[in-house]
Amino acid sequence: MAKKNEKIEYVKNGKRVDGRKVDELRPIKMEVGVLPNADGSAYLEWGQNKVLVGVHGPKEALPKHKQNPYKGLVRFVYRMATFSVPDRKNPRPGRREVEISKVSGEALEKAIFLENFPNCAIDVYLEIFDSNAGSRAAGITAASLAIADAGIPMKDLVCAVGVGKAGGEIILDLNKTEEDAPDAVDIPIAIMPRTKEITLLQMDGLFTKAEWKKASKLAFEGCDQLKKMQEEALRKKFDTAEKKK
Amino acid sequence: MEEKKDEVVVEHKKKIVVVPGELITDERKKLGQHVFIENGKVYSDTLGLSYPSSSVAYVVPLSGRYLPQRDDLIIGIVERLTMKGAMVNINSIYSCYLSADSVRDKLELGTIVSAKVDSVNETNEADLFDTRVFFGGEIISVTPSKVPRMVGKNGSMLSVLKEGTGCNLLVGRNGWVWAKDGDTAKLVKALRLIEKEAHFDNLTVKVEAFLKGKKVK
Repeated sequence: MAKKNEKIEYVKNGKRVDGRKVDELRPIKMEVGVLPNADGSAYLEWGQNKVLVGVHGPKEALPKHKQNPYKGLVRFVYRMATFSVPDRKNPRPGRREVEISKVSGEALEKAIFLENFPNCAIDVYLEIFDSNAGSRAAGITAASLAIADAGIPMKDLVCAVGVGKAGGEIILDLNKTEEDAPDAVDIPIAIMPRTKEITLLQMDGLFTKAEWKKASKLAFEGCDQLKKMQEEALRKKFDTAEKKK
Repeated sequence: MEEKKDEVVVEHKKKIVVVPGELITDERKKLGQHVFIENGKVYSDTLGLSYPSSSVAYVVPLSGRYLPQRDDLIIGIVERLTMKGAMVNINSIYSCYLSADSVRDKLELGTIVSAKVDSVNETNEADLFDTRVFFGGEIISVTPSKVPRMVGKNGSMLSVLKEGTGCNLLVGRNGWVWAKDGDTAKLVKALRLIEKEAHFDNLTVKVEAFLKGKKVK
């Protein structure tokens, strides 16, 4: 953590505070099928973020008045563990968690063929074990993997990444130090890479039009990288046995 | 000699693992299951296996919940008794209603039945017919999308399993296997082996070797 009134150079000689380039993601590790009791599951490590997702369903949506006879429901639950932040987090779901659950669920909804499952619900439970900025992007990326692992038909995988500004520079995938910069702008963005459709877009701070153009280009490139990792993680589940052979 | 023969087989039914949203083909082909068209191109909608040389564009899923289809043979467990029958859990989204008049034996909680799917409505609820009640035995749960590999071509895998374990077997399309007598512990191991390697060729040979006690690499 930076001391008060201390001036941080967020980008120095093309390198950021943690040594990354401006368009570089933090190290990412993905694994699929980690929970045998869930229909689909995924574990994701994104820098310091650690996310575990379990998917149940499709199953009958209860209570019955929540059912939609035309399409299925996605019930997304985003929770942070009490030990996921420096000070203990109250385990009670707060305003922030309820909001993230809503927008993340809607971001994934767009990619799923929900019309195949009338009156049904797909439950996505997501737990953040460790967080360091960009946890909702990590959550959506992991949840889309878990849904694919559950064999639920999808138009495309959903990738999410944060872009923004720190110290006047447009950067990809902000960490906590950069997010706390005085002029920080943080935009979590979720994309379906094949059609380049945006399913989630939120913004903290202010951007000019030119800055946004630059940032969105970075985000699309970042999501292309993420998609490759997701595909690899999904294929890995079935290729490991082949190598042994 | 043997290598050459293998090559031909592999080329004939070469399969690749596809992920949701992956391009299957941009040619005009007949459409099978688990694909969708966008701008004249065919994409996969699920994690599964695709056969590029096939004349039909389709994907065989590697996971997923069982959705009933007409004429499927399934295994169910009575989970609730009603006035004139019972609700049967069929490992799908909804349970099925079974009339007490349709079977001779008394239906009780936990009774195992086998049935065929008569019809399925638009919300994936099924009607059953041809119900039979089973006594004893146990139910082994497997991934529904891998059931065809447990039966094999013309039931080849099924006969291997029956011979190797000495079990009375009935494989339900919904991912439940009923087994009685014989070496069920060995059967479970064999079924797990099939589940794990369902996307490889020559599985019957491998399972046969496993059941005969040979080491499988």
